[in-house]
Amino acid sequence: MRLWPSAPRRARETTRARHVAARAAAFATRVLGAGADATPGVLAARLLDPARLARYDGLALRVRRGMGERHGERRVPGRPQPSGIELEAHGAYAPGDDLRHLDWNALGRLDALLVRRFTAEREVVVHLLLDASASLAVPAADDKLGGACELAMALAYVALSTGDALRVAVLRGDGAAERAQADGGAARIFRQRASVARVAEMLAAVRPEGSFGLGTALAAYAARHRTPGLALVISDFLMEPDEVERGVHALRSRGYETHLLHVIGAGELDPARIFTHGVLVDVESGARRPIALTAAALARYAAALAAHCDALGALAARLETGYARLVTDGDVAELMTGPLVRAGLVRRR
Amino acid sequence: MGVVNPAGALALAAVAVLLALYLLDRRRRVVPLGTLFLWRHVPAAVLERRRFRPDALFLLQLALLLALIAGYVRPYLEDAAAPAPGTPLVVVLDVSASMQARETGGTRFELARRRARALLDELASGDEAMLITAAERPHVALRWTSDRSALRARLESLEPLDTPTRLAPALELALGEARARPGTRLAVLTDLPPEESGIAPDELTAFHYIQLGATDDNVAITALTVDQPPFQATTDATVTAVVRNFAATGRHATFEAWVGGERWERRELVLPPRATEHVLLAHPPRGGELVASLLVDDALAVDDRAVGWIAPGEPLDLLLVSDSRELATAFGEVAAAIGGSRVEVVTRDRYAPNRVAGRRAALFDGFVPSELPPAVNALYVAPPAGNAVCATSRAVDSAAVIDWESEHPALRGLDALDALVTAHASALDVPAWGAPIVLAAARHAAFPLLVAGERDGHRVACLGAELAAPLTSSDRLPLLMLTLGTLRWLAEPFAGAALAVETGAPTLLGPGPTAPIQGPSLGAGLHVAGDPAVLVADRAGIYRIGPPGGERLVLANLFDERESDIGRRDTVESSPATTAPPPTAGARREIGWWMYVAAALLLATEWIAWLRRRAA
Repeated sequence: MRLWPSAPRRARETTRARHVAARAAAFATRVLGAGADATPGVLAARLLDPARLARYDGLALRVRRGMGERHGERRVPGRPQPSGIELEAHGAYAPGDDLRHLDWNALGRLDALLVRRFTAEREVVVHLLLDASASLAVPAADDKLGGACELAMALAYVALSTGDALRVAVLRGDGAAERAQADGGAARIFRQRASVARVAEMLAAVRPEGSFGLGTALAAYAARHRTPGLALVISDFLMEPDEVERGVHALRSRGYETHLLHVIGAGELDPARIFTHGVLVDVESGARRPIALTAAALARYAAALAAHCDALGALAARLETGYARLVTDGDVAELMTGPLVRAGLVRRR
Repeated sequence: MGVVNPAGALALAAVAVLLALYLLDRRRRVVPLGTLFLWRHVPAAVLERRRFRPDALFLLQLALLLALIAGYVRPYLEDAAAPAPGTPLVVVLDVSASMQARETGGTRFELARRRARALLDELASGDEAMLITAAERPHVALRWTSDRSALRARLESLEPLDTPTRLAPALELALGEARARPGTRLAVLTDLPPEESGIAPDELTAFHYIQLGATDDNVAITALTVDQPPFQATTDATVTAVVRNFAATGRHATFEAWVGGERWERRELVLPPRATEHVLLAHPPRGGELVASLLVDDALAVDDRAVGWIAPGEPLDLLLVSDSRELATAFGEVAAAIGGSRVEVVTRDRYAPNRVAGRRAALFDGFVPSELPPAVNALYVAPPAGNAVCATSRAVDSAAVIDWESEHPALRGLDALDALVTAHASALDVPAWGAPIVLAAARHAAFPLLVAGERDGHRVACLGAELAAPLTSSDRLPLLMLTLGTLRWLAEPFAGAALAVETGAPTLLGPGPTAPIQGPSLGAGLHVAGDPAVLVADRAGIYRIGPPGGERLVLANLFDERESDIGRRDTVESSPATTAPPPTAGARREIGWWMYVAAALLLATEWIAWLRRRAA
């Protein structure tokens, strides 16, 4: 078995990647030139930046659970099947088995009817679950949504580049958006690498609004999509950890391998960048609280934020869920090649 | 610097509007956040009570607003204060006694010197300047020079004197210099108000007039009079000191008198505002130098002290040459009344010059010997016509005294001479050796009644009135006092005679030594010059002129109420009207447009800052 693709294959993949990037750039130009909303156009162009996407070449998603039903390129050891390419085990012949896989040598030596079993090769569906609640839009200076989209785009690019199927679900209030996308049918699952542009278009069109319970939304999603896969939940997780835990439980109960990707704004880490005093308004609930950012207040906030992040980390560890954090002023490529590799979500091909 | 549109300053109200908007924004500032649950542990604040901490954007907006307002009021720069290069400067500095008055920040003289120093520092390189001091008389302290260090050194060496102020001569001197050098700037630093400067107002406009000082806190001895009857004992002397409070508030002071180094009197004085107190002292314990002083902490100290002289009592030692038996009897009675006196009477025909030997004075009644007494001071009473000493012009009847030289030592202490009436008198001519000290008048004209002077090294006096008995009657008492006063002057020892002078006033010293001089400032406060010698005291105090044993006493005092009245209404500073040449550059340069340019730059800066804040 070859661990690394041969040089000609790498060259072909690079050429293909450049082709895809060129198409993506053309798409972005078309979007911008069509007079569409400039902001999605700019975001799409940014997401499809060839130089940026080229940094993700050579990466693949590591999947341990969540094997799909369709035949695919993912080999799933431990679940031998009657047909395949790579021999994994032998099994007793049962009427109906394909006689082509009967091991005649074993019959001659052992006088027993044994049929060959092969390593399962299945498709893995990568579910990109993007939180699009109103909290992603604030603080505006942080551009958490942009960071989340960029991370989602990187993961989508890696998934589609390595032959995985991709479903992008934008979670919004009462799950209406996700349902609307689901109504599109199988077309919402991307399997072609060229679909990167479509994914970018979809991500660029996301408008954060409303509020919802993440746990409820994830449970609803798991209920609708019974075929398990790799669930990548991208959110700011500005909610009680119990809410997150409920959602993760729902996904895991359906056999999803789950990773929590926490997008946190630089202004949330250091509120002094945003304000020194003012009336804080929760964009989702509308609650108000006057705050003066004194040193004591800053210290208390920092302690609360650290406790929240620690709770999410502990939750992920307890539920055997991956957890990584992206700060909006950080580099997504560094996250992809660093923390996500260490977390076991990404590997080098 | 000034502004063309001062009403534009009303636009400063916009600053208050800007501040109000910021305060309102602070109350209304809403910060949207994704969630508040992380802020649950942070206590809510009362934003209205928080101290206003302006951020950089506010400061930029404030600067922008101020720049716009500054441009609107149209400020301009004026170069009038800057002298053109090559402009000479004359500084007239008042060094009179009142400049010693203490003010806030130093004495008036120190304040004046500080301003003068600043004026000299403003001189351009190569500009010439002159220093003139003004006291009782002007003095060119330093002639025209461009040597800055010499000017500064001379200025630092100047000290105020104890003399009154006569500013006009110094100002005239400066005006003369200005006329000789067109374009000369004139500056005068004094404590006198302009209206008391002594020169015409139109001439005063040429000066940069700087009046310094305001305090009126001064208590002074304005006069010290020693009344000592002729040929009386020292204890019969009386001293009158006049103490005046020049302040507008009441003062307490302690008056002390010392005579011959021994304390004589000490009194507490309560002086109402601007009141005068006469302090009468009697029965001095001894004769000698009299020092009166006020123990009071006022602004001017130089007039808190006065000096005088109480002469030791000397008996009458007289040779009387007269044929009048009544007069001889009368002088005998006078001599008997004065302890230790000796009066020898001889008739005219028995007179011989050797009879006067050893006498301190001689009195010739109606007689002038052909051979004058060789070595004695003499009084000639009712001299006959055609004598060689006291020329007379005519005989006068019913004459009365109309004027006299009260400062003359022979008339010291005599106040009632206007009561002197004589039935018969001779109108004296003014001799070359003397001067009239008492004038009388009859129906036709005034004439000298008493002349006194020095002739051939001796004192001589001529009295035109007849001495008729009884001398001690009340009608003739003034004439007797005049005669005795004259005899006292004639009889007093030359070395022991004290000369009382007022500071700054030239006084004839008379024959005798002129050096060395001992006294205040190592004798430098007294100047003696000329022939006959004239002295001027710059410093008050007691001086001794001459070698030990033959010293002459000079008592210098500052008795000048105008100088002691140091109160001024206000500090005045007026600029010259036309003397200074126009400034070299434009007189007024508006800088409003620069303010607008600055505002534009601030606007750009603020826009960039706002963009950066938005991007962040």
